[in-house]
Amino acid sequence: MRDPSGFMREEYQTLVEKGFDWKLRVLEGPSAPRCRVDGKDVIMLCSNNYLNLSNHPRLRQAAKEAIDTHGVGSGSVRPIAGNMDLHLKVEKKLASFKRTESSLIYQTGFAANAGLVPQLAGKGDVIISDELNHGSIIDGVRLTKSDRMIFPHRDMGELEKVLKEADKKYKRILVVTDGVFSMDGDIQHMDKIQDLANEVGAMTFVDDAHGEGVIGPDGRGIGAHFGIAGKIDVEMGTFSKAFGVVGGLIAGSQDLVNFALNKSRTWLLSGSHPPQVAAAQFAAIDVLETEPEHVNNLWDNTKYFKKELDSMGFDTGQSETPITPVMVGESHKAKALSERTFELGVFALPIVFPMVARDKARIRTMMNAGLTKDDLNDALAAFEKAGKELDII
Amino acid sequence: MPITHRMRTIGLVVNPIAGMGGRVGLKGTDGVLDKALELGGKPVAPGKMSKFLDALSSLLKNENVEGIEWLTCGGSMGASYLEEFGEGPWEWEVVFEPGDPTTAEDTNEACSVFSERDAGLIVFCGGDGTGRDIWKVVGNEIPMIGIPSGVKMHSGVFGMNPEAVAFIVLRFLLGELDVADGEILDLDEERYRAGEWHIRLFGIASTPNEPSYVQVGKMHAEAVPEEDVKIEIAEHIAEDMSENKDTLYILGSGSTVAAVSKEIGVDCSLLGVDAVYRGELLEKDLNEDRLLSLLDQYEKVKLVLTPIGAQGFILGRGNLQLSPAVIKRVGLNDIVIICTPGKLRRTPFLRVDTGDSDLDREFRAREYLTVVTGYRTMKLWKIAQ
Repeated sequence: MRDPSGFMREEYQTLVEKGFDWKLRVLEGPSAPRCRVDGKDVIMLCSNNYLNLSNHPRLRQAAKEAIDTHGVGSGSVRPIAGNMDLHLKVEKKLASFKRTESSLIYQTGFAANAGLVPQLAGKGDVIISDELNHGSIIDGVRLTKSDRMIFPHRDMGELEKVLKEADKKYKRILVVTDGVFSMDGDIQHMDKIQDLANEVGAMTFVDDAHGEGVIGPDGRGIGAHFGIAGKIDVEMGTFSKAFGVVGGLIAGSQDLVNFALNKSRTWLLSGSHPPQVAAAQFAAIDVLETEPEHVNNLWDNTKYFKKELDSMGFDTGQSETPITPVMVGESHKAKALSERTFELGVFALPIVFPMVARDKARIRTMMNAGLTKDDLNDALAAFEKAGKELDII
Repeated sequence: MPITHRMRTIGLVVNPIAGMGGRVGLKGTDGVLDKALELGGKPVAPGKMSKFLDALSSLLKNENVEGIEWLTCGGSMGASYLEEFGEGPWEWEVVFEPGDPTTAEDTNEACSVFSERDAGLIVFCGGDGTGRDIWKVVGNEIPMIGIPSGVKMHSGVFGMNPEAVAFIVLRFLLGELDVADGEILDLDEERYRAGEWHIRLFGIASTPNEPSYVQVGKMHAEAVPEEDVKIEIAEHIAEDMSENKDTLYILGSGSTVAAVSKEIGVDCSLLGVDAVYRGELLEKDLNEDRLLSLLDQYEKVKLVLTPIGAQGFILGRGNLQLSPAVIKRVGLNDIVIICTPGKLRRTPFLRVDTGDSDLDREFRAREYLTVVTGYRTMKLWKIAQ
């Protein structure tokens, strides 16, 4: 007699044996620069809440008001009866913020990638992808019947060769890439990609999840960062990181939005965001437009933190963004550093092999605009103490 | 990941005369040892073994890996190097006493004992001939890794140097490596005696290999078994076949290509070149004449190849039946190269040695060839200049 669900336990146990199971930590209270995790007060250095907007008074207020005016649920998917005025308001504001013709909100960033990418290319087409692209892009690509060509990370010479090869064989060509790569904090050469794509008439798609609200003037993202806002065919991003809420987004032409909302199954078949989410999204963009100090603080903090870590003797890698890796080398040392810094009141997670090369294990820190100089000095002191104890510096 | 008893038990076999023919201009030492000695050949193995054991000892100590047990052979086939090294972070046991002088049969017998004692890995020091002697006994049941010290090292089971092999052994013990195919290539002695230099594919062994990973969480990646990747590639080719019903598919040698035949449900040869048409096996193990005759009959043809051996040859090693005339008739645009990402990673360049320098030049002029690495997934890979 077969055991219908025995595999669940077995596979879980294998994960536990390998140490690959997730041990979930509990955040007690809001995601804030100083917060309480597993009963311990810590400085948060691993959330994506870059601008500290998730607990911003204007966002909280907007969400509360939306509950009073619109209730707590949308009642449906957007194509049927769940398309609220609040959703449209956000999209209008977002397009204006991104300097694009139009925009569309998805339920999550994953839903945007997994829903839209497979619609952009099919049989006889090719998707050209950076080898370090995020899993949600990879899953989106897997859902297509198109061919896929992979180019080495940020290697524009190789991309050019791949594009030339693709130009000979395929109808549509789509170049898809992360904007900011979340392991190293490096930025894709989006301007060069756009130029190369223009030469062969290829579409471009950038997942700017870690760049939205962070890079470019006023945090307007990678298009603005390279001065090519509105030129990238699909600028995809998320409200769950710097914007402090939740949800995926795309910005581009009206043609893109018309196409995307009629074709993305993830969008068509998932319930729309509840009113308080849409209202908080709107407020987040509004804050970005009217309170430039958050983006400025984020970068000031980043520069200070990196400089101090460097001067202590830590290797902070090649990051160009508020993601600062503290390179350690061996996996067990990275885990030990993370555990010790947690004991000392800093929450930052280790990234180890095989997510990164075997000798490139690190602690990945993500800066928060709401951390004060005192907070940063406390965090730096913890890193210095732990780093010395573990012979890293 | 816990290190199992089986992983800790490692067979170690050294061909003490491997490489001696090289410096004196012989093509190996098989059957010509006396001549090698006469010409002043010096043993290569002791130096290589000492470097390997030094490197491995420091790595194991550094990572606190304990409980390694070497199963080895007496004297210059293993024990003498461990003895000379002195105390290392391991135990060792002589499980086989070779004769004097040592022969290929000694390697065979030692490997039988390794197999009986359930070794999880065989480390050898030698060349293509030694790898082939091990493969004859263990096939692809026990993964092997070679410290290169022979005259010929075409097979895909060698590390770059003794230190690199030590690192591979460590990572294998830590459970970080998967196993992949390693082609066993060697000089075809019969044809060599007849004055022909012909590297033949004898079989497919298994060797430790970097797996391919997929991201399963923001901070997690999981290894994908090599076999699953092969199935994905096979699905890609099978789909191509079903879309091109009037095309004759010539399938080259190697197990990545063999996975394709399994996927389409035909019984192709592992080492030979076969022809498939409309999902049916047309002919197996074709020679050049048969290939040319088939090529006369079919207008549309595709040739499916995979890099063979350590140097990444897609043509010219182990598949000489794919002669210049055959390749020209197929045409460069209709060659489909397939390779798992893990194996491709240890193939820095693709190479061709068709025997026709103009044709080789035509390949090299392309600079890059497209390699299918998964279902509808491709990479451009450099061709050695």
